[in-house]
Amino acid sequence: MDIELSKEDLDFEAEVRGFLKENAYTGGDAEAWRMNWFEKAREKGNWDVPKWPVKFGGPGWTPNQHFVWQKETARAGTPWDMPFGLSMLGPVLMAHGSEEQQQRFLPDIRARKVNWCQGYSEPGAGSDLASLKTKAELSEDGSHYVVNGTKIWTTMAHIADWIFCLTRTSDAGIKQEGITFLLFPMKQDGVEIKPIITLGGSHTVNTVFFSDVKVPVENRVGEEGKGWTYAKGLLEHERTGIAGISNSIVALEGLKNKARSVKRGNGSLMDVPSFRAKVAELEVDLMAVEYTELRSLATASAGTAPGPESSILKLKGTDIQQRIQKLTMEAGGQFSAAWGGTNAGPDFARAGMGGYMSSRVYTIYGGASEVQKDIVTKKVLGIKSSKK
Amino acid sequence: MNFDLSEEQQLVSDSIERFVQENYHLDSRIAIVKKSPGYSEEYWKTMSELGWLGLPFSEDDGGFGGDQIDTMVLMEQFGKGLVLEPYLASIILGGGAIKRAGNDEQRQAWLEGVIDGSKQLALAYAEPESGDEPHNVALAGSKTSDGYTLTGTKCMVLHGGTATAFVVSFRTSGGTVDQSGITLALIPADREGLSIQAFPTVDGLQSSELTFDKVAVTAADIIGDVDGGFETLNATINDGILAVAAEAVGAMEVLYKDTVAYTQDREQFDHPLSDFQVLQHRMVEMFMEYEQCKSLLFRATMEVASNGEDAQRCVHALKHLIGKASFFVGENAVQTHGGMGVTEELRVGHYFKRLLVIEAQFGNTDYHLDQFAA
Repeated sequence: MDIELSKEDLDFEAEVRGFLKENAYTGGDAEAWRMNWFEKAREKGNWDVPKWPVKFGGPGWTPNQHFVWQKETARAGTPWDMPFGLSMLGPVLMAHGSEEQQQRFLPDIRARKVNWCQGYSEPGAGSDLASLKTKAELSEDGSHYVVNGTKIWTTMAHIADWIFCLTRTSDAGIKQEGITFLLFPMKQDGVEIKPIITLGGSHTVNTVFFSDVKVPVENRVGEEGKGWTYAKGLLEHERTGIAGISNSIVALEGLKNKARSVKRGNGSLMDVPSFRAKVAELEVDLMAVEYTELRSLATASAGTAPGPESSILKLKGTDIQQRIQKLTMEAGGQFSAAWGGTNAGPDFARAGMGGYMSSRVYTIYGGASEVQKDIVTKKVLGIKSSKK
Repeated sequence: MNFDLSEEQQLVSDSIERFVQENYHLDSRIAIVKKSPGYSEEYWKTMSELGWLGLPFSEDDGGFGGDQIDTMVLMEQFGKGLVLEPYLASIILGGGAIKRAGNDEQRQAWLEGVIDGSKQLALAYAEPESGDEPHNVALAGSKTSDGYTLTGTKCMVLHGGTATAFVVSFRTSGGTVDQSGITLALIPADREGLSIQAFPTVDGLQSSELTFDKVAVTAADIIGDVDGGFETLNATINDGILAVAAEAVGAMEVLYKDTVAYTQDREQFDHPLSDFQVLQHRMVEMFMEYEQCKSLLFRATMEVASNGEDAQRCVHALKHLIGKASFFVGENAVQTHGGMGVTEELRVGHYFKRLLVIEAQFGNTDYHLDQFAA
């Protein structure tokens, strides 16, 4: 057992820091900077796709290098990026897509040219995702599917170019069978998008309606009826991402600084014992989960799907994110209630309650906490339900 | 021992419940929130006509001589509908300070208008750095020949944008956190040098920030004794705590009942959600938290109404428990509703937002536990 970084790792760390410093945003056209950043990262040694396997153009980092990258990028910040193509669909195509599909879709995902969204949940299929009903019917000549149905909570559907979508092609057998994984463009007739406004006041999720959308059979990933198997691996990737542990480490430092700026008596809010204790408890949990993630990183070689342990990371990681939001709101005091139109109180308080309300979704999306616990029960603890 | 409402209280409760049911559907509430002044002037008039605005004022002042138990009954029903009208700001807080310490001229000049709804009062006591302490007052009165001038800021003044006048706490002697040396004054909204910036809060209600630039306060504006304003301020804030606690109990009742109904309706894994034991037990705990809050609300309200020795401690205990339970009930209501719980379309999120604002008002959950233990 050894947690020391080797000399090579420390050199790598210095190199990463240097790169991030050199390419930090300094103003001007943000989109031009973003595209340039990814280009530079690619030139540096395929740093634009850290988690992709070498076979598909990734850098082939060791677990320690991944850890260094995650830690440093969380602190320095990286350009805005969407996980759907890069971290979710990408690995599915690498594992189950045809060579033709890999060549057709992966380069544009890597170049951040095409934005993807994920067509999973439905109004009647949330936690129970496998009960989804969006129907895909194969045409008589076998050339295309016709898709009809409704997807909900589709993040960024309103800016997405393409969707990867779970559809039902058969009702025979158990519900996990008969699900087919299709890819199709969002900007076409028969695709209608309705925004959902969440309690934080923002628009990121949507309801998406499909009516007679034609999808060529060559856009089916893998076999018909096997989509659930492909989708499951993808969900595990999503969960690891949602845990957001590196971001929480940075956010916790931010919270402490905010609390130090709030005057209480002769000191600051960080001197108030009850508040300080809550921040400390949070930090202890975060220290532990950081190493839970490292342990899972060390056992899983880069590029393969994380196992059901990702559920633990999601459960702990989202709880920590929510507690950071809650304490930030608390640090803002009454001023966190303001909804625009005032400069009263500390600057960070302005979006306090909105931020807290938005954070409630962390334990709901990507498989609610209740579902994660079911997965741990069955897959990790090995408890089978015995129906009497 | 008797926890039943009197016949009169039951009538008031029933009539407010009916009013809320008829007028405060989620859609109609959202429509009111979006339109200036952020509440319904028609409802405000109705509330005056039905006598609700006069409830906690003495008959001499033109009211009905009710006490904190009467306003508890009213606020609990308001909480079930997330009522937007400035009852807390004008009747409980602003009006509450005047009914306690106002002289005859002040009562005659203001309370009739407050009770008929034509005038509104607001309480300006919090400041940028006052935290949770009502006695933390930095706004200083500089002595003049016939009074004081004020320069500084008051924050989070509920419904300040529509107030006709403000009850303002300022310091006439002592250090920033001393309880003595605080004086209250009644300052009209149009007084020279006073500017009011109104803004909405996340719960759809209205708040404001007041900026004082050499605002003149004359001897006639002073409420009660110079240097002796804290007792009135504190008693008024205690009434505010009782009022929002009752509102929170009403809101929590809606949250746990909506959750029970939703889980019986929503099916996943070929079962209604209510079949899952983990959710059943969670809802039992939400219900217990609500009941505990209701018990402590009764206890604290009766203690304060009867001037009990334990009144202040009960108020601290209540504000603490309400805050803690608000997070538990609100978070679990949203979580159990799943994705729908975090949208504007269902009412659970709206009730939770109101509970969040209440939690941060008049001292938060931790502050009151600390005061209780002190």
